[in-house]
Amino acid sequence: MQGLHIHGIHHAYGETAVLENVSLTVPAGELVCLLGPSGCGKTTLLRVAAGLEKLQTGSITIDDTVVAEPGLELPPEERKIGFMFQDYALFPHLTIRENVSFGLFRQSKRAAHERAMEMLHQVGLDHYAEDFPHTLSGGQQQRVALARALAPAPRLLLLDEPFSGLDTNMRARIRDETLNMLKQTNVATLMVTHDPREAMYMSDRIKVMGANGQVLQSGRPVDIYYKPVDEYVARLFGPVNVIQGSVCQGGLETSFGRYPADEIGDGGDMRVLIRLEGVSLHNGAATPGDAPVEVLSAHLLGDSSIVHIRFKEGANQGLEIRARVHGSFDPTESGEVWARVDPRCVFQYAGTPS
Amino acid sequence: MVQISSSFQIESEAIDADHRHLVEIINEITQAIDDGRPEECARLVPNFVDFAKQHFAREESLLAEYAYPLLEKHRRHHHSLGDKLQTMLNLAARVAEHPPARESLRKELVYFMLDDVINEDLNFKKFLSEVDADGKKKVEK
Repeated sequence: MQGLHIHGIHHAYGETAVLENVSLTVPAGELVCLLGPSGCGKTTLLRVAAGLEKLQTGSITIDDTVVAEPGLELPPEERKIGFMFQDYALFPHLTIRENVSFGLFRQSKRAAHERAMEMLHQVGLDHYAEDFPHTLSGGQQQRVALARALAPAPRLLLLDEPFSGLDTNMRARIRDETLNMLKQTNVATLMVTHDPREAMYMSDRIKVMGANGQVLQSGRPVDIYYKPVDEYVARLFGPVNVIQGSVCQGGLETSFGRYPADEIGDGGDMRVLIRLEGVSLHNGAATPGDAPVEVLSAHLLGDSSIVHIRFKEGANQGLEIRARVHGSFDPTESGEVWARVDPRCVFQYAGTPS
Repeated sequence: MVQISSSFQIESEAIDADHRHLVEIINEITQAIDDGRPEECARLVPNFVDFAKQHFAREESLLAEYAYPLLEKHRRHHHSLGDKLQTMLNLAARVAEHPPARESLRKELVYFMLDDVINEDLNFKKFLSEVDADGKKKVEK
């Protein structure tokens, strides 16, 4: 298989395990993202794949060539891997062109020069070839880093929080440019990030990692966002409302209606999580499942507003939750306000919070 | 085209044969996508899903026979793939009139096979090789 295949990686620092049986596949031309909080082991996995950390157990195969397994450890420079880091890691004393040529040491000077210029042209920076990194903006430096990473035509590209040093607007643009370039080069890419939006935007597939270095869920961004396997994964993608209670007669009664609890016995604890955008507000005619609410406050964010509401009646009377609604929502409008939930944004789990 | 290289071999003939057959169906489906034959694609995906379910059952039965200690975990993993199989059926139903569904289906099939099925099955490769070599570990029926 063309691409990256990692199987059964365990990794520990002393007694502390940081990766627990991690396996993944990145076909050529695809981008897989490891998403998780700081300290979950995602950067360690990247370093093990790169050969910067010694493999302890498991195996790593790139384009059908085993590069690491017990008793075999190819050095990083023989794995044909490109890197792109958060801090760009450009050499300040080398020109932009020399930075891009750096990994082309096996080529003749002339070939390396031509390849570097070709890559700089692709990222739109060939006019800056003889300038030094400090004269470029953060976004330009990141494009140089991408050109440098792709110049040797790697089989695998590793991206470690590549856009986190950029401001919001620049990040969106560089992210797009990077994605376009990666699709053109057909390189397998493994990226780590703690930013769920970035992961969803960039990835063909996301692997969500838990705090203990295990992969908790793997799938298309849409599946992970709308079908999180547990509360941890659901919360990783943003704030949620929680309605909790004890199951009675096979379900949990809420102000939005009854949620069946097939797999939780009567008396068991159940938690219903609702994404903020899964709560909509209206002041028209109520339909079954709509709950009358009191608006406590509204905070305009521009494209949306976060509205704090309180249930006026039903099983959750007095409970406060939040809704993310269109920015044009006007909390001062008169009339009864009703809240409604989108079932796609509702997730049910057994138990109490850990 | 998907190919199972040596790093994806479980080295259990029954299981590897199932994997090869699943890959054959995937390659037929992707060929149908490439050739612009969505109706053929829609016909093949349910075959793939049916065979995948049969494979899971066969594999669980084999692992039970050998008293694989992590069988329950593996069974839960198979169960968790139900949504992904359903996604494939949904995509297959849309491939005729919805071009993005074709690309999604192609990706889903590849990741499902390599990442969700074979990569997980590799977890018991070592166990099976040990019970094959030592019949005493086999549970008498």
